Amino acid sequence: MDKLELFFFKRYLKAPKRNFFRFTFVFMVMGIVLSVGILSAGLNLFQGYESNLKSLLLDSFAHISIQSSYGELISEDELATIQKRLAKRGEIVSAIPSMEHPLMAQKGDKIRAITLRAYDFSQEFPYQKYIQDAKGELQSGEVIVGHYLAEELGLGIGDSIELNYPRFDRITPLGIHTAQNKYKIADLYRSGYYESDRSLVISTLKDARALLFLPEGYSRIELRLKDADKAGSFARAYSEVLGHDYIAIPWNLYAESLLRLVAMEKWLIFIVFSFLVLIAGINVISAVSTIIIDKRSEIAVLKSLGASPRSIKRLFAFRVGTVAILSVLIGQAFGALLSWFVEKQSFYSLKGDVYFIDTLGAKITFPNLTVVFLVASFLIFLCVMLPLRQIEKMQIIELIRHKR
Amino acid sequence: MILSAKDLKKTYIDSDQRIEVLTGACLDVAAGDLICITGKSGSGKSTMLHIMGLLDAPDSGELIMEGKKIEAKSPKAPTIRNRDLGFVFQFHYLVEDLTATENVALPLLIAGQSEAKAMARAKELLCILGLSERLKRYPNQLSGGEQQRVSLARALANRPKLVLADEPTGNLDPVHSKEVWDMILSLNKGEFRQTFVIVTHDVEAAQAADRVFELVNGILIPA
Repeated sequence: MDKLELFFFKRYLKAPKRNFFRFTFVFMVMGIVLSVGILSAGLNLFQGYESNLKSLLLDSFAHISIQSSYGELISEDELATIQKRLAKRGEIVSAIPSMEHPLMAQKGDKIRAITLRAYDFSQEFPYQKYIQDAKGELQSGEVIVGHYLAEELGLGIGDSIELNYPRFDRITPLGIHTAQNKYKIADLYRSGYYESDRSLVISTLKDARALLFLPEGYSRIELRLKDADKAGSFARAYSEVLGHDYIAIPWNLYAESLLRLVAMEKWLIFIVFSFLVLIAGINVISAVSTIIIDKRSEIAVLKSLGASPRSIKRLFAFRVGTVAILSVLIGQAFGALLSWFVEKQSFYSLKGDVYFIDTLGAKITFPNLTVVFLVASFLIFLCVMLPLRQIEKMQIIELIRHKR
Repeated sequence: MILSAKDLKKTYIDSDQRIEVLTGACLDVAAGDLICITGKSGSGKSTMLHIMGLLDAPDSGELIMEGKKIEAKSPKAPTIRNRDLGFVFQFHYLVEDLTATENVALPLLIAGQSEAKAMARAKELLCILGLSERLKRYPNQLSGGEQQRVSLARALANRPKLVLADEPTGNLDPVHSKEVWDMILSLNKGEFRQTFVIVTHDVEAAQAADRVFELVNGILIPA
């Protein structure tokens, strides 16, 4: 930076009102603030969605599920052995044995496919926070039903629901034998993850075994980890520790593609919204061009006094660039406000059957703020520099003649 | 000789018409000279001055400054304009966002002087030109005559060998016009001994100059 540039920069900063708050800048600032605001809000909302979805997935499913390699039940003895082998793994927060089986739920002529999960309620129950009334331990003959499922079947707490288990191993002359039992709905399950809220029924182990005609044992052991993102590598390690009789399945085997899709959508939205900044850049080009035309005589005199075109370009770039960068920052603040408003509003919610979750959430992260700032600033910088190239081509004599 | 213009030729093409503005103009400027160039509108007075100030290039002919050939398209031209030449135009061309002092300091800053030195020199010049009460005024807070005196101070900032003035009073009323002319005369005749080449319509005022030329048919004729 030469002495002339430094001199001008200091003057600009000393009298910001005189040098930065100009009518020429009004539409440029509005364009940048709006486009960056929308870009930031879009990214914040997608980040919130991605984060909520991941958090619900991790809360709704075991981080690692240990199952028999042969589809058999895990006995109490085997459970003790597995727990012993994994006892020293400090990353495991809990290891809860459970049963899971697909079934049919029926109320009158309404039938729905469901997933039955069964736990020993005298021990740890991993979904306590999603239980609506949380009255306490589930008793035999009672179930907890996903609230969307209850709604679809027209059921509420205290009503009875019929669970049907079609036994493909018992085909009679009248067709497939179906085991049936009725249970009282003790509570509703409300996680926010649509698939669980629409298909989950939770019962005691005893009731599940009775309905499914199964002996003592568990279909899986649900492990929850301190860091669910490392589930893949831990699952491989556990498979080695436990031998070939068991398989350890990490959560991301099922959900990673979904999360990747969401992440990809987030960046696609970011790219699309970045074009808004580019459109706002047209205002910047227009503002800079107007300033150049307005300041032709100053450019002429600076050139005639021996200033280099590079210096003159920098003076203009600094002046417009400062306003533009401030506009980007204001735009980011506006984006945060916009995403906060969208999060707090109650007149629109997501369709759970389409978006997996039904709540809109925003999350502001430092990396996202940085990316928006850098991308917007870069695009604006290009739009500032593009018209400034004219300065190099401007002939002093043409500028002076123009004034005459 | 500070500057010698030799056989300058310049032709403009307007639509399909060739306009020969300079057809072989010559001028020698010695130290301490006050030279006025007069002529009809469109005769090429300003073109002559612009070429002498390296703001425009002639089609042919050459400029010699203190024995060395200088050219408008040479990379050294901006430095020569900054250090050896000063310009005063019909319009003041002051930077509207800078005060009078800051405007005068510009050529010094471009030359690489420190801000403190540049501002001190600018204040000194403005005081000499009778603008000590206007140091912190912005151009739009000054009268036409004051604006032109600030412009004159800016031209003198780097102690140039030659000041080229193109209709310095062309945009002023008679009172302010006289004020500026008096200033130029005092700078030329006083301790500064500043060399001036001035283009003007004002034939009466031009009589105060050491030498007066009229540009006729593209050449300078002593008036």
